[in-house]
Amino acid sequence: MDLSRDDLLGVYRRMRTIRAFEEKLQELVAAGKVGGFMHLYVGEEAVAVGVCTHLGDADYVGSTHRGHGHCIAKGVDVKAMIAELLARRTGTNRGKGGSMHIADVDKGMLGANGIVGGGIPLVTGAALSAQVLGKPNVAVGFFGDGATNQGQFHESLTMASNWGLPAVYVCENNGFGEFTPTEFAVPVKDIADRAAAYGMRAEIADGMDFFDVYEKAGRAIELARRGEGPTLLECKTYRFAGHYVGDPTPYRNKEEVEDWIQNRDPLDLFESKATEAGVLAADDLRTVDGEVDQLLREAVAEAEQAPKPEPADVLTDVYVRY
Amino acid sequence: MARQLHTGGAINEAIAIAMRSDPSVILMGEDVAGGGDRSKEGTEEMGGVLGTTRGLVGEFGMNRVRDTPIAEMGLLGTAVGAAATGLRPIAELMFMDFLGTCLDPLLNQAAKLRYMFGGKAKVPLTVRTVSGAGMQAAAQHSQSLYWMTTGIPGLKTVIPSSPSEAKGLLLASIRDDDPVIFCEAKGILNQVEDVPEGDYEIPLGEARVVREGSDVSLVGFGATVRVALEAAAALAGAGTSAEVLDLRSLSPLDEEAVLGSLEKTGRMVIVDESTPRCSVARDIAALCVDRGFDFLNAPVKCVTAPHTPVPFSGVLEQAFLPSAQDVLDAVGEMG
Amino acid sequence: MPRLGMTMEEGTVVRWPLSVGDPVQKGALVLVIESEKNEVDIEAPASGFFRHVYIQEGETVPCGALLGAITETADEPFDAGAFHAAEHRPEEAAGGGLQVKTAGGGLQVKTAGGGLQVKSAPAPGAPRPAGERAEPPVAPAARAAARKLAIDPRRVPGTGPGGRVTKQDVEAFAVAREALLPVGGGVSLEVLAEGEGDPVLLLPGLGTDVSSFARQTPMLVERFRVHGVNPRGVGLSDAPEAEVYEVAQTAADASRVCEGPAHVIGASLGAAAAIELALAHPDAVRSLTLITPFVLATPRLLALGDGWRRLATEASPEALAAGLLPWFFSSAFLADEAVRSRTLRGLARTVSRVPAPTIGRMAAGLTRWSGSRSLDLGRITTPTLVIAAGEDLLTPAAEQVAEAIPGAKRLVVEGAGHAVALEAPDAVNEAIAAHLAESTRGRARSAFEST
Repeated sequence: MDLSRDDLLGVYRRMRTIRAFEEKLQELVAAGKVGGFMHLYVGEEAVAVGVCTHLGDADYVGSTHRGHGHCIAKGVDVKAMIAELLARRTGTNRGKGGSMHIADVDKGMLGANGIVGGGIPLVTGAALSAQVLGKPNVAVGFFGDGATNQGQFHESLTMASNWGLPAVYVCENNGFGEFTPTEFAVPVKDIADRAAAYGMRAEIADGMDFFDVYEKAGRAIELARRGEGPTLLECKTYRFAGHYVGDPTPYRNKEEVEDWIQNRDPLDLFESKATEAGVLAADDLRTVDGEVDQLLREAVAEAEQAPKPEPADVLTDVYVRY
Repeated sequence: MARQLHTGGAINEAIAIAMRSDPSVILMGEDVAGGGDRSKEGTEEMGGVLGTTRGLVGEFGMNRVRDTPIAEMGLLGTAVGAAATGLRPIAELMFMDFLGTCLDPLLNQAAKLRYMFGGKAKVPLTVRTVSGAGMQAAAQHSQSLYWMTTGIPGLKTVIPSSPSEAKGLLLASIRDDDPVIFCEAKGILNQVEDVPEGDYEIPLGEARVVREGSDVSLVGFGATVRVALEAAAALAGAGTSAEVLDLRSLSPLDEEAVLGSLEKTGRMVIVDESTPRCSVARDIAALCVDRGFDFLNAPVKCVTAPHTPVPFSGVLEQAFLPSAQDVLDAVGEMG
Repeated sequence: MPRLGMTMEEGTVVRWPLSVGDPVQKGALVLVIESEKNEVDIEAPASGFFRHVYIQEGETVPCGALLGAITETADEPFDAGAFHAAEHRPEEAAGGGLQVKTAGGGLQVKTAGGGLQVKSAPAPGAPRPAGERAEPPVAPAARAAARKLAIDPRRVPGTGPGGRVTKQDVEAFAVAREALLPVGGGVSLEVLAEGEGDPVLLLPGLGTDVSSFARQTPMLVERFRVHGVNPRGVGLSDAPEAEVYEVAQTAADASRVCEGPAHVIGASLGAAAAIELALAHPDAVRSLTLITPFVLATPRLLALGDGWRRLATEASPEALAAGLLPWFFSSAFLADEAVRSRTLRGLARTVSRVPAPTIGRMAAGLTRWSGSRSLDLGRITTPTLVIAAGEDLLTPAAEQVAEAIPGAKRLVVEGAGHAVALEAPDAVNEAIAAHLAESTRGRARSAFEST
């Protein structure tokens, strides 16, 4: 393990921030302060943080409609994210994107994406940029199990493999494509099996275990950086919340959900491993919890005071020049 | 100095100039090199199905001239991602009809990223594509779908009418910071004319008066500019002075040039080789009626293809395409 | 009549339950109406006295009509006229609702009580009620040019398909209008002037323009300054609103066309104007040529005037010309197919330049003038030539005019119709030439004698 105590505290802070962010968001939705479609990342925190801990600002990630976790893991400013969801001019996207398009290109975050599979070719293109320009950067695409049925997935992975692009394709297999269990929709046992069709390396990680994701993602990213081509990394995880905020989830077994939450919570798993190893103390983590809560309270308070877009803003930023 | 080039030659030259002047420009598409392996002795590249990009891989190498799999969605989606992250790709969509396989990267990604991200991204992408009928390529390889891309905010749509126009407009398109759909109409591909040497750009969104006239305006773009010119010559013989306007780009649209010509002549015919419903022709007709109502001396006429797929038979294809006679008939009807 | 629903346009008064004079409380049943097959009780909108019934039980009237009146006191007067005037005032834009900006002349859209109401004022060129001839279409560019040049585009002769008025037509009209001659009272007339010499005035008849002298003009311009006068409402001449275009006014207008006394040549109603001119402005007239004149219109002529106006309203110029042709020309003349169709085309062109309101006004003037000068012809001292036609159906007593004017010469063209100047130009021109020459010589001689 190459992570220092501070690194691990940072990891925990990000995972906790994702969790707290999504919980705060649910409050804001309930209070009628946030509009639009909202998809929560609760339960999958270890995947985003496990992967992104290896990445710098010059590396790119592409995301999905369930993108808040990827943004936070990639270092996007949480206050600007809250402002975006509250549709403020100070938001990451100046109030023009919202939850499904939240982005910060300067942080290498190529955006959440409202089209299932839509982000996969974008990160393939980012990997192409790095290759053509001879930069040591990698591009990581996050997508769900459902997206692996999309043509964009097949076409992109084919091309990436042809060209040996510095890309890592991270499938967050959370067991459901919207409301349909993965086994009804995906005709292979593991998503990783699909990699064979593209002549691509594949790995399977326990998506609830930060350390497992961290290790396997690190290997894939390192290979990509060295010019040894792309990897398909399947992270088996679970969506604690419904598909969207307000989803009553009648399609899931309540005991099953309860079992995951009680026994497989990635934050709990991280805490017990880190404390059992004696690297972090529970008090350290509770301090982080308090700081994260404070950050989100401030973020909401500041965003609520921030200006809304002007109606004339509807016309700006369609083109660079028209 | 100018020499005679056909449209493909002019396009090839524009790409080479753009790639020489900017290392971030790359060319990607199905068989743009044509024959992926340059190391095989005794072979030559095709340079695309029409040979337009032949020779470029030799000068710029396989890193910048990329044959993609026949996978248009992956091709365009990757090009969009590359454009958003530092490259300035020229992606070739072999025929515009293939938009059917790959609309999402253009419709939902390229066109939207900048807006959705609050202006914090740009997508300097050029999609070159062959549009239109005239080669007996039938229903799936002959459509003029520029009306579709013109209707998508965030995209630009350019359609040159001759080799020299193609060169200047393509250079401007490649260097433009927004996604541009560059339509190479089949009707102009075999055209040959003097093309200036060297590096020159024709600004997007500025129409061109190809022929001055005072009695009726004939607006064309791409292959229909020649149709309009042919009709104008015939009208001149009959004592009617027709002005011919080449739009050059459909988005942005030079509305002032259209209205200016209408103000001058009071009569407007738009010649568009696409099908009529929701077409560029009718869009411009609506512009004329809306903003140019007080200029109208006669009803606005749209000369378009019929509302049918493009047929295979040469006889049928010629019946499908708007002709100079169709333009003359329209002028006759409007009085 | 209250409007109870969006589609309701009229309603029927079913019952007035009160008697006139009864006191009434606000909210009490005051009226039952029927609309779209439903009977609806109408409550009194205010307390007072039920005073007037304007629409009786069983009558159907449009929404907005005044049905009855409740006044505050039992005996105050109620002025229904003032009510109407107040109700039909242009509405003021209701505050707070949608506001629609209108360009002049088009639709007027007002908002009231939440819903949009569209009140249309007929714009120039808007569809006209059934039974009226459709005006030639006016191209938008022509409309705009006409607005700028302050021209009524409906008065512009159109050269486009179906008579469509183009921008160029409006501009040509504007140029022609520049050459209009002011004759006083803010009225300008289209006067076609040509040739050099002593002045000649041409006065055309009912519903025609100076083209009815087409066969005489070439001969006249060789020796005279010819002023072809299109009277009020004809061609490009102004068409002031009026019930009647009086013959005396036509004569007064003509008197202002040129300097010095003129040889005046009038046909039919134009001859009436010429007579009027000779009587009222004798100094303005050097000689008088009266072609098919009258002083007392026959019932047939009066009937034709009425029919002409109605045809001009409802039929095309071509149909109108076809209807007029047999009245103007002789059987012998019309026997030639080629001549007939050529004449028909020419007549259609001529009548297309005279709108229906002008026909009505001129015909009214004719009626008014008829008989007014029967006893005055003897006072005419001007040298006069009267030309009559043997087959004239409209002014058969033309020859008697000659008898009544002292010293008048006469020419009777046997076998010709009312439009004798067109039908028999050689005989007519010869007589006119001789008459004008004689009158000119006569004047020269008298001028010589007076010295």
